[in-house]
Amino acid sequence: MKLNERSLAFYATCDSPADNAGFLYKRGERHTAYHRRWFVLKGNMLFYFEERESREPVGVIVLEGCTVELCDSAEEFAFAIRFSGTKSRTYVLAAESQAAMESWVKSLSRASFDYMRLVVRELEKQLEEMRWGLTGGCGGCQESPGSWKTKPSGPQRSPEQLLALPAVLPKENGCAVWNNVPGEDRPPNTSGCGRYDGEGNPRPPPLPPRRRASSSEAGSAAGAAAESLSTFCQLHERYGREVARLRQDWLERRRGPRP
Amino acid sequence: VKKRLVKLVVNFLFYFRTDEAEPIGALLLEHCRITKEEENVFSISFVEEPERKYCFECDSEEQCQEWIEALKRASYEFMRRSLIFYRNEIQKMTGKDPLEQYGISEEARFQLGTRKQ
Repeated sequence: MKLNERSLAFYATCDSPADNAGFLYKRGERHTAYHRRWFVLKGNMLFYFEERESREPVGVIVLEGCTVELCDSAEEFAFAIRFSGTKSRTYVLAAESQAAMESWVKSLSRASFDYMRLVVRELEKQLEEMRWGLTGGCGGCQESPGSWKTKPSGPQRSPEQLLALPAVLPKENGCAVWNNVPGEDRPPNTSGCGRYDGEGNPRPPPLPPRRRASSSEAGSAAGAAAESLSTFCQLHERYGREVARLRQDWLERRRGPRP
Repeated sequence: VKKRLVKLVVNFLFYFRTDEAEPIGALLLEHCRITKEEENVFSISFVEEPERKYCFECDSEEQCQEWIEALKRASYEFMRRSLIFYRNEIQKMTGKDPLEQYGISEEARFQLGTRKQ
């Protein structure tokens, strides 16, 4: 099966945060000898490199639909990643200490996309419940007092718009026509979601929510919360920039004072 | 131009010949850009090779938009950022870290300014 290997290798080696990294011994497929490899866990993928300095991984294990368990092995601190299905293989790995083994088993068992999605959905739900509770289910804080229009029943911004994640996965189309032409020079189209309203006019970015120590004030905190709810994508963009800036600061501070 | 069955599963886009059960291939959807091209068409390109576009023609504009939205949200990295965002929001509103109940509040991947490995 073809894979966009270059993209995989890029993901493995780029500077997005690795959820775990370290040396592990990996048992060979056919021979039972263990080989020491440098492992990097990113997202739901466990990459392994020949050496720590290697520029490209030699392999990857996609951590979906698997269980991580301790296993009986002559090798100390061994654990296994087991996939179901007749054609699937079990990967036996061994750490160099009890602590390392526990850390790996923990991070690998929480690495799946499904796990992440579960947690995100849960937080989304919590946040929604809190916000709708505050605003009393009304999203009309931006209306001018003079013009009262009859609103459709229910909040102006439906909960569906707030949910960033697709409701149904996996997704199939029935059929799609593929045209794989390298070197196509079509100009990139900057169509971000939520940046334009129905008429195609750009929306101004939302005002940043006011940071308050206590969230018990219903009035202005609710106003800020409702405004900041305009679309998740806009906020996502803004927070993304904030996070990038913070990371940059952190990295610079880490480098320390220049001589 | 070839007709393919396309399936989005977690952060992979699998593609099949329409009459086969095994996929021909898959695209990992991390660090990629989803772009609306002409009518009914969108493309996927990757950060490390931006000039190479994988183009898809849909049956309708509606289907095209649906796929663009789904693919934009399909990456693990997007979910990680969403999680950090929600965690932050909830923490601001309640003063409590919502990840504590799951015992994952200390995990590196959920921190702002996580260190590089």
